[in-house]
Amino acid sequence: MSQGFDSIQPGDVVEGPKFAVTRETIRDFCDASLDYNPLHLDDKYMEGSFGKTSFGGVIMHGMTNFGLLTRMLTDWAYPQGALHRRLETRWRAPVRPGDTIQPMARVTRKQATHQSRWVLLDVDIRNQSGVLIATGEAMVEFPHDLTAALSI
Amino acid sequence: MTEFETDFWKDAARRKVWDQLVPGEPRATLPYLLTLDAIQKYCRSVGETHPLYFDEAYAKRTPYGGIVAPPSIHILLMFACTPADDWMRSPGTINAGQSWSYVRPARPGDTITLQARCLDKFIRKDRLFAVHDNVFFNQHGQVICAGRGQTIRPM
Repeated sequence: MSQGFDSIQPGDVVEGPKFAVTRETIRDFCDASLDYNPLHLDDKYMEGSFGKTSFGGVIMHGMTNFGLLTRMLTDWAYPQGALHRRLETRWRAPVRPGDTIQPMARVTRKQATHQSRWVLLDVDIRNQSGVLIATGEAMVEFPHDLTAALSI
Repeated sequence: MTEFETDFWKDAARRKVWDQLVPGEPRATLPYLLTLDAIQKYCRSVGETHPLYFDEAYAKRTPYGGIVAPPSIHILLMFACTPADDWMRSPGTINAGQSWSYVRPARPGDTITLQARCLDKFIRKDRLFAVHDNVFFNQHGQVICAGRGQTIRPM
C-alpha cells in the first residue's frame, strides 16, 4: 500500500474509460438515480429557454459526470489500498445524446498529515471534440492502515 | 420504490420557488432502505463493474468485509430520501456543481437518512442560485458522506 503512495508523482495521469452517451444511457440514469427532471427526458420542453440558457434538446444528467469521475478515482484507488475521499466539480458544458465523454485526472500534490497521507488531483471530463465538460478536484487518502480507516 | 413518482410535473405547484427557500431551514426528508438491486442498477448506469459492488465472496475477503455501494451513490440517495414536493425536483432545476466528502461506505440493507437544507441563495448574472447542504447517515447514526451543491432555479 505504501509503495503506491511513494511511487506517485505530481503530473501522473489517470484516465477513465470512454462513455458513449445515448438516450438509453440517459434513461437508465433516470431509473438508477430517480432523477426524472424533464431536462433529460422531454425534447419538447427542452426546445424552450431557461433564463439565459438554451439547450435545444435533452441533455445528460450533470451527475453522470460525477459518477464517471468517481469510477475513475475508485478504480485507481482500490488496488492501492487507498480511499476516494472527496470530489468537487463544476459543469462547463452540457452533454447530448451521441457524445462520447472521457474522464481524466492529474496528480497535483502529495500531502502528509498527522495521521495519514493524501494525493490531490485535478480532474476533468472532455467530449469527443475535446470540449471541456466538467472540471474539478479530488482527494484520495492513502491510509497507513486501510482496515482502521474503514472502521472509524 | 414502486411508489416513486417519476412525473416531476405532477407535484410542481406544491414545490417551493426560489423566493420561498429559507437559508438554514431543514428540508423534509424520508428514510430509505438501500437494496443491493438499487446499488447495482446505479452501478450499471455509469459502467461500474468493480467486484466490490457485485461479488460478495470477493468483497468479503477485502477490508470492506462485504459488498458496498460506490461513493457516488449519494446521487440516488438525494432523490430517494426526499419527498415528491421537494424543490430539488422542480422541472428545469440545473445543477451547477457539487462537492462531496466520503466518510464510510453505504452498504446493501442500510437504512439511509438525510439531513439537508438550503444553506444559501443568491442572484448572479440574472440567474437564481440555491446552495444545498446535505449529510447522509446509516441506521447506526454514522455519517456516510456530506456534500453541498449549487443549482440554478427555474424562473
